[in-house]
Formats: sequence, structure tokens, C-alpha cells
Amino acid sequence: MAAVLLQRIGLALVTMVIIAVVVFFALELMPGDACSVNLGRGASDSMLAACHIRLGLDQPPVWRFVTWAGDFLRGDLGISMQRERPIAEIVGWRLRNTLILAGVTSVIGIPLALGLGVLAGLNPDGPLDMAISGVAIFAMTVPEFISGTLMILVFSVILGWAAGVVTIGYKAPAFELVKASILPAATLIFILAAHILRMVRASVVEVMQSDFAQMARLKGVPRRRVIWHHVVPNALLPAISIIGLTMAWLLGGVVIVESVFNFPGLGRLAVDAVADQDLPLVQAIALLFGLIYVLTNLGADLVALILNPRLRTRRQ
Amino acid sequence: MILSLSTKLLATPLVILMTLASAAQAESVLRRANDLSFGGSESLDPISANRFYEVNDLIYSRLIRQDVDGRPAPELAQTWTANATATEWTLTLQPGVTFHDGSTFDAADVKFTLERVKDPALESPVTDVLGFIAAVDVIDPLTARIRLSTPHAGLPLLLMDYRVRMLPEGAAAPYGVGTGPFKLDSFDPESMTILSANLAYWEGAPKLDKIEFTAIPDSEARNQAMLGGQIDYNGLTRDQEPLYAGNPDFTVQSYPAGGWFGIAFQSNQPPLDDPRIRKALRIAVDRVEMLALMTGEGNGIVSCDTPVMASDPFRANLDCPQDIAGAKALLAQAGYPDGIDIEVFTADLEPGMVQYAEVYQQQVAKAGIRVKLTVAPSDGYWDDIWLKKNAVTSWSQRPADQFLNEAYRSGAAWNESHFANAAYDTLLDQARATLDIDKARSLYVQAQEILFKEGGTLIAYQENGRRVMSSRVTGIAPQDEDYIRWHLVGMAE
Repeated sequence: MAAVLLQRIGLALVTMVIIAVVVFFALELMPGDACSVNLGRGASDSMLAACHIRLGLDQPPVWRFVTWAGDFLRGDLGISMQRERPIAEIVGWRLRNTLILAGVTSVIGIPLALGLGVLAGLNPDGPLDMAISGVAIFAMTVPEFISGTLMILVFSVILGWAAGVVTIGYKAPAFELVKASILPAATLIFILAAHILRMVRASVVEVMQSDFAQMARLKGVPRRRVIWHHVVPNALLPAISIIGLTMAWLLGGVVIVESVFNFPGLGRLAVDAVADQDLPLVQAIALLFGLIYVLTNLGADLVALILNPRLRTRRQ
Repeated sequence: MILSLSTKLLATPLVILMTLASAAQAESVLRRANDLSFGGSESLDPISANRFYEVNDLIYSRLIRQDVDGRPAPELAQTWTANATATEWTLTLQPGVTFHDGSTFDAADVKFTLERVKDPALESPVTDVLGFIAAVDVIDPLTARIRLSTPHAGLPLLLMDYRVRMLPEGAAAPYGVGTGPFKLDSFDPESMTILSANLAYWEGAPKLDKIEFTAIPDSEARNQAMLGGQIDYNGLTRDQEPLYAGNPDFTVQSYPAGGWFGIAFQSNQPPLDDPRIRKALRIAVDRVEMLALMTGEGNGIVSCDTPVMASDPFRANLDCPQDIAGAKALLAQAGYPDGIDIEVFTADLEPGMVQYAEVYQQQVAKAGIRVKLTVAPSDGYWDDIWLKKNAVTSWSQRPADQFLNEAYRSGAAWNESHFANAAYDTLLDQARATLDIDKARSLYVQAQEILFKEGGTLIAYQENGRRVMSSRVTGIAPQDEDYIRWHLVGMAE
């Protein structure tokens, strides 16, 4: 068990290092550097030189990578070029806001998806399954920027039930942000739930036909008990890793959804940073997204490990 | 009796509540969005390169502003007169004007504001515009004398610049105290900025109680906020306009503005060093059709290759219909009877920049001008293509004198067509030294006529600006933001 655990954590660390190297050196391959890109059309030689020294760009790349990565480990994400403030301070609030949005999305979306998936899987090809699976396929194929815009059009512009675009600031109290995240969360849930429920449905169908479920039914165990004690626990296990993957997808989804709804989170900040040519901030956000992705998957792995005794031993 | 007493007791808090509620309702607030174009480093310093333009226009005042015809009109300066050589300008100031902090506006503030424009530490783009101000003398509290290092008869026009706004003497970061109709209550360009009415405003208290700004960087999100009634005032792009057509809740305005696309042909490279060829490349264009194709009917004004906007008093209003026969004749004279091959570069930097070149390519083909169009990568376009090749270019509005010098004077840094004409340069020098505004106008017009005859830059039209407002907003005419008198803007119930 400990060996497996260490192996997973070790793999996560290696992945992180690779991400850091790619994020850092991709920038080295780009034409120009952070200074020339940020200063743009009006950059004079003296301004460029001053900027190079300020950002340490006069140092060799490998040395800069080591310093940058070392600073990152100590929680120092550097200074934003455009905003001229520590990146940790800028990113902190946005990270909280994105976590609130992701939290609202998963607290509502995951149970909903699991419930609908089980419901659809228990009566495969029945009218209920057809309805649920049909809507799910539709949800998966419509991109977020369309479903988000439609949500605003229907619920804000036509019906007037909810504010369409988030107009509160990034430092607003958490409770306000929870209220503001209704429509953006609904947009994310629409897609997230579709992915998870299809997985759960397939898994339930499979387990229902498995030997042990057949056996239980032949023994005369009541259907309700078969479902709750034999089928659901076994069917949900594979769902855990898909939930982990979907949560990681959520991070990409928030970039679009936060822009559509003007939600003051990390995704919108990423778009703004790219638009402002603020490369140190773009780097920090990319690395942070990578970190969250790895941690989420590691978490999902560990939960699956705890719930499934068979995974705990190493097989050759 | 008992009944009525208890009714009264009950009723009193209700009445108070209702009064409070109606008082809250009566507060008139205009909600706007700021586009966060500087990513949160928006500055309240009016001459900063990162100036928070949406807000600065409301909290500060200029010395001189434009009247409805674009001519200089008094704001904080009541009168301005020059000496005979236009090297010294004397301004008398509006008495009784106070800053938001209660201090009185006087000549020392003018001295402070105008002299800091030259401070190299501020790296202000306004230095290029007003750097010729040598010093400002305080004659008395209401009289200031501006001394120039070179004669400039057009100083009043340059003082109309939307950035040259008065600060109190000794103002320092973060700034924010001005003499404008609104004062700053809270400032956070990344979330909300709230302004309230300056009741002591010298032209009268504003009709609005508050103006609130919410940061919405994404253009589509701003549009959604407008459609959903979350903001009352917003800029509008051409493709968003149909969303509001015929909707009684909104007012859409289209107004003359000074931005344009153009094609800068390299006048110093053969065969384009022949002015006849340059003229042929320009007169073969059907500008009316191009304007209609690019912006829709009535959303711009045809330009005969002048960069100057329609509301500028110095604009040359020439006539330049498409002239295919004339273009062919000019090409034949220059030794190209069978037409000419020209390479033009563009990039997808702004919506319309590629289409502009495509429309050009189609239109001039009739005159035997064969355009090889290359869409270059957006990254590095200004470094690698612009100023070096025949390239589609994009400019925002500037006053006539600034435009004609910055983009066409021999050797100017941003002379993108490498146009060099001694007669043209002389006309600009003369215009700068001519105090009579009508005489100055005729000199600037002559300079623009030279551009149409020999210049290397095609400018087919200036596109209008557009805005959309809640139909409750009153007091905003279809004119550029610079013209809005914000203290007269209100919200109808």
C-alpha cells in the first residue's frame, strides 16, 4: 500500500517538473521576450534594457529557470509586468473565486450526475434512459460559449430571473460570489454532468449484468438491496477517476465560462493576462493550472485506492 | 381613539420606511463598464500612458474644450491671447472654481499641470504633443502665461487634448482630485469604481447622483450586460448593432470619429517614388462603396486621403470619386500602359484590417492594378512589416496639426509612407505660426491637398464611433465622448 502510494506521489512530482520545464522553455522559444512583447510598438532601447534588468532577463535561461522554480516552491510567483504587483496577491483572490465556482458546480453537478446516471443505467434503453442520454449528448456537443450565452439570453434578458453578467468585484464576500455563480455554474454543470452520467450509466449497465449481481438476484435478494448494496458501490468506483478527470476539465472550462459571464476568477485572469501580454503572469497561471490538474488526479487516484482493495497491491 | 393611535404607531415606521425607499429610488445612477484595457494598472494620472480614460474624463477638466463645431471654447480658461509671434500665450482663468478637496483652482495649478508634461520620469505620451512648452509663469492667481520654445498658433487646439486635464498643484500618486463634475468615491479598476456628483461644480450641480463603473474586459460580456440591463451605457461594434435595432429600451448612436484604416505605400521605393503612380493607386478606389461595404450605410465619412476627422475645423473636404480612366492614364504616363503589379501586406490585428485590403484589391483591378495581397502574422507586424512594406495601417484620432506632422512630415518617426515634400513641411510650419484661425485653416487645407495629389497613404474613410444607451439616459448627443457635458446627463424615471 505504502509503495503504491509513494509511486503515485512520485509520478505526480515528475509530471509537475515536466510541466514547469515546458511552461518555462516554451516562452524561450517564442519570438521576442516578456519585455519586448509587453512594451510593444513604442519600446525604446533604454526601456528594454531597464526591463531586462528588472526581470533578470540578462541572466542565462537555465539559471533563470532554477530561480523561477525555486521561488515558486517558496510561494513567490514573481511580479506581474502589467499590474506591477506580486502575482501571488493577484492570483490569490481569483483562485478563491474559481474554487467557489468549481465548488458550487461540483456540489450540485456531481450528485445530480451520479443520480441520473444510475437512473438511466438501471433501465437501459427505457424512455427515461433515452431522455437522459439524449440530453447528455446534446449537452456534451454544445460548446460552453454557446450554452453560456443562451443561458444569459433566456434567464437574464428574456425572463429576467437572474443577473446575466457578474458585476461584483473579485474581492466580494464569498456568499455574494456563490449567488453570482448560479448561471456560470449551471453552464458548467450542463457539460460536466453529461460526461459523468454517461460513464456512470455504462458502468451500472455493466455491473447489473455481472456474475455477482446475477447471483444475488437468483438468490432472491430484493431488487432494491441488489441495487444499493451490490450494483451502485461497484459502479461508482470507475466513476471516481472520471470525476477526477472531469474536475480537471472544469479548469479549462472555467476559462471560457468566466469570460462569457465576466466572473472574476483565475480563468478570466488568464485571458486578461494573455491580452495584456503579461508573460510572467501567464506563466504563473499556466503552472498553477498544471498543479491543480495534477493534484486533482492524484486525489482521485488516492480515493479510488482507498475504496478499492484490489488496487492497493502492486501486481507484476 | 385607541385604534387610531395604534394605527399611527404602526404607520409611523411604515411612512419612514416608505420615505427611505423612495429616497433610495430617487437617486439617479448611471452604470457603465470599464474595459480594463490596462489590466488593473489603470492610472488616475490624466497624462499617464495607462490613463483610466473612462473615469478621468469625468473627474478632471481641461483649460479649453471644443464647441459643437470642434473649435476651441472656454472651459477652465476664460480667454487666451498670443503675442504677435505666437511664442507666448496668456490665459485668464475661470474664477471661483474649486477642486474636490475644497482648494481653489488658480494659475499655480496650471503651471504645475503643464510643466509636469515634460517630466521624463512620467514617460507620458503627451510629452510629444506639448513638449514645446518651455515654462509657465504665474502672473496673478487668475492669469497664467505659457512660454513656448517654438512658435505655435495652434496651442488652444492642442490644449483641447482629452488628456490635458488640470491637477491641483503638488498632486501625486494616486491622484484623483480634480475640478470635474464628478468626484471619486472609490477606485478599483479591477472591480468597481464609484463616482458621485460634485455639488460644487462650477457649471452647476450634475443631474446624476452617481456614476458606477464595473470592470468587464470582454467585449461580448459588456454587450450581454447591456442587453440584460445591468449597465446603461456602452460602446458598440458594428456586428453588435443589429441586436438593439428597433428595441425601445435602447438608444443607439452613431457619431463622427477620427479612427481609420489605410494603406501606406512606400513612397521612397521604386516604382512608387513616382507620385503619378501613387495617385493612380489611390484614385482607382471607390470610397463610397468601400465605406458602405466595410461599415454599413451612414456609419462613416469619405476621406480623400486626409487623416483629419470630420469634426476638426482644419479638415480639407475634397471630392474624390472613383476615377478608373484617370488612374489608367496616370499609369500609362508613368510607363505602365499594361497595368502594374503591387504587393500589399496586412494582418488580422483588428477586425476589418484584412477585409480593407481585399476590397481594395477588387476595386483597383479595373484600373489594371494587380494587387498581390499577403496576410502577415499579427505578431511582429508593427516591427517587421509596417514602415518597411506597403502595409495596411490603423490610427486613432488626433488633432489635425498633430496628425499631419506625426504621419507625413519628412523624416518623422511614424511617417509610414516615407512621404517627403518640402512644400508640405513649409505649409505646416507656416500654419503653426499663423494666429488667424481662418488663415491657418487655408494653410492646413493646402497641405492636405498636397497629400491627395502626391501622398503615399490611401485613407478611404473615417469610421463613425457607436454607442448604445438605456433609453432613459438623457443629455447625450450623437457626438464623440469629448463633447459630452457630463453634468447635463440625467436618467429619466
